[in-house]
Amino acid sequence: MPPQVPADVSSGKMDIPLIHYSKNMSLMENSPEIIKALGLFKQYGDVTAIDNVSLSVGKGELFGLLGPNGSGKTTMIKMLTGQVRPTGGSATVLGLDVEKDPIGVRERVGIIPEQETPPSFLTATEYLDFVGDVRHIEDVQKKADWWFDFLDFSDKRDVLCKDLSRGTRQKLMFTQAFLHKPVLALIDEPLINFDPIMQHKVKDYLAEYVKAGNTIFISTHILQIAEEICTGFAILHKGKLLHTGTVALLKERDQHLDDFFLSLVQKDRHV
Amino acid sequence: MFKLFTNMLKEEWRIHSTIFGSLSFALFPVMIFGIAFMGSFLLPLFRAVIPGGDLSMIVHALFLLLGIMVGAFGLIGQEAMNRRFGQASLLAYSARSLPISVQEIFCTFVIKDTVYYFCLWVLPFVGGFALASPFIGIPLSLPALLLLTLTLAFLTGLSVVFFLSTVYARSKLYLGVILALLLISGAGLYLFAGINIALFFPPLMLFYSFSWVLFGFTCAVILCLSAVAVLLFTSEYTDTAQRYSSVLAPIAQRLSFFPYPPLAAKDLIDLSRSGSFIGQTIFSFLIPLGLLWFLLSVLTRLLPPGGVLLLFAILTGVIASTMYTWITAFDSYNSYTCLPVSVRALLTSKICSFTVLQLIPAALIIVVSLLSNGVAYLIPALVLCLSISFFSLAVTVWQTGLSPSVMVYDAKVLVTYLFVLGIALIVLIALSFMNPYYSLASVLLFLPGWLFVRESFMKWDILDQPTF
Ligand SMILES: Nc1ncnc2c1ncn2[C@@H]1O[C@H](COP(=O)(O)OP(=O)(O)OP(=O)(O)O)[C@@H](O)[C@H]1O
Ligand SMILES: [Mg+2]
Repeated sequence: MPPQVPADVSSGKMDIPLIHYSKNMSLMENSPEIIKALGLFKQYGDVTAIDNVSLSVGKGELFGLLGPNGSGKTTMIKMLTGQVRPTGGSATVLGLDVEKDPIGVRERVGIIPEQETPPSFLTATEYLDFVGDVRHIEDVQKKADWWFDFLDFSDKRDVLCKDLSRGTRQKLMFTQAFLHKPVLALIDEPLINFDPIMQHKVKDYLAEYVKAGNTIFISTHILQIAEEICTGFAILHKGKLLHTGTVALLKERDQHLDDFFLSLVQKDRHV
Repeated sequence: MFKLFTNMLKEEWRIHSTIFGSLSFALFPVMIFGIAFMGSFLLPLFRAVIPGGDLSMIVHALFLLLGIMVGAFGLIGQEAMNRRFGQASLLAYSARSLPISVQEIFCTFVIKDTVYYFCLWVLPFVGGFALASPFIGIPLSLPALLLLTLTLAFLTGLSVVFFLSTVYARSKLYLGVILALLLISGAGLYLFAGINIALFFPPLMLFYSFSWVLFGFTCAVILCLSAVAVLLFTSEYTDTAQRYSSVLAPIAQRLSFFPYPPLAAKDLIDLSRSGSFIGQTIFSFLIPLGLLWFLLSVLTRLLPPGGVLLLFAILTGVIASTMYTWITAFDSYNSYTCLPVSVRALLTSKICSFTVLQLIPAALIIVVSLLSNGVAYLIPALVLCLSISFFSLAVTVWQTGLSPSVMVYDAKVLVTYLFVLGIALIVLIALSFMNPYYSLASVLLFLPGWLFVRESFMKWDILDQPTF
């Protein structure tokens, strides 16, 4: 029997605000919306990558952006971090308009891009130095050391980035995004190249990170992990927002995220 | 292999045409054609000043130069290899997972580059000349011969660079020995026997008097050089994990007077670690300019005193401005998008790094003027060279942003560049021939240069950066 899709939440044009249940209720009242997207559109030639998407993410949330390949997750993250210009609509991140002040946004947030491309000819350590210098971080070396240790790649610190393995490059990009302890991190599929031990470690780190009052916006295909750590989530399909809701609500209804995801996308395919 | 070849061609075409749109890119050869066609009508004018022999020599040298530049561009240094054979280049890279040897891939790659750039540059140029020749009273046999000899000149340049760059990748010492031998024998012949070896450039000799033997010889030279290059080719150096002790922070500290010390430090490290600093200096700077000097020295008797040096300084300036491509080769804006670095900051920083590199042309001009007894004209030559280099840089930045080596194939970009730079060059050449000290006026170029740079900040500081 296919799982039930709650009728009230399955329409993409459903009105925000989401039902926040997070433990950081009190914090949310100060600045309820860390990310706010209003009717975002992105057109690549005749492809509509993002089609009228409105979202809002509150402080202290670990928000998962889910969707099949090519559904627009990366595009969404790129727009929210001022890497590409929306064709329509608007978005504010930490109160800053991403179109007007992309550099300001990037100063405050941490980003892991989909493709891990640290500069070829710097070593891992040098890249972190570089990031530290650009971001004006104090004591980079000490912080970097902690990360080398935590993600277990100290032996690779003097290797040129171009010679690092994919997983190690991903570790480096992960470090880069969290080096300055941003209040918001937007991370695009950060787990896919990690081994199971690393996935576990990183998952716990993310959960702890939001507990401390920070916010994380994550795109991922690993629904199991999303279900474990995310508070709110959204499902994109072909650029359209199919659903936004909370994991808690699913749990209440005794539904699993992957079943819910599959049935929703399946249903949308047939429409 | 043929399939690989055609697909590589397709890929190269698509890379360029998706960036500019097929039309704009297809216009590129058309434009070369047009320039050659219209330029041909100036021939009678040139002939009045320069003897026909020298003129044909210049054209051959230009195509040799073109071959060298195209070759140097595609293949210098480990980074270029890595970029073209690394993740960036789709087919050459993915072909590695097929049962094809590295040699074969490289060979196909070389042939592809040859065919591609031949169609892009050589063919339209000779075509334009051929079309114009009836109008200026030149028999059609001449462009036909020219097509052959210019192609050979182009291929010679290409194969020489392929050969030297694979030697370079194997052993820097051998390359040094080969270059030193060439230089010494060339200079020796010129100084002691009064023989200008430029006149013994096979394609040029072939142009003066065609013979099948010489033709065979020329082809043999090209094939030998390329064959050795393919045999020597190794991709090993991309396969070892290199370790370095961390130098970024100390370098950045020492460069703290730069507007963006970490960016400048990164440029410096990129250049030295990729091996492209030495490689580019030799292949894209010293070799072409050495050739040019030989050529220009033929004109000594035709030009006013100091004229050769000043003309050389002007051309050095133009070539020096291409150093901008050295420092942009490693950066795709992609790798900065997760950091708070604006395009404006990146451009500013690149311009600063470029300024440091200008010590090389400055040193060259000083050395050349000392060697050629032209110390009297040293100051004007220096000023001329640097002003032109910076002006040409400004136009490049304005037109191409952070991707000069890709954007240049946009016909509109190239026309604008040639037009703006052309005007400046003509005026300056005329001025410096009138009186060497008039060329000091070239400092005025810094003003429009500055305006162009300001304009490019507006133009390129946008979201949706083109990334390659
Ligand atoms: N630079 C681009 N130019 C043209 N089309 C693009 C570009 N980037 C993305 N697209 C298109 O936009 C749509 C959304 O792509 P996007 O990368 O955002 O998907 P995604 O959800 O991140 O997919 P995946 O799960 O595979 O990472 C796709 O149809 C893609 O082809
Ligand atoms: Mg994606």
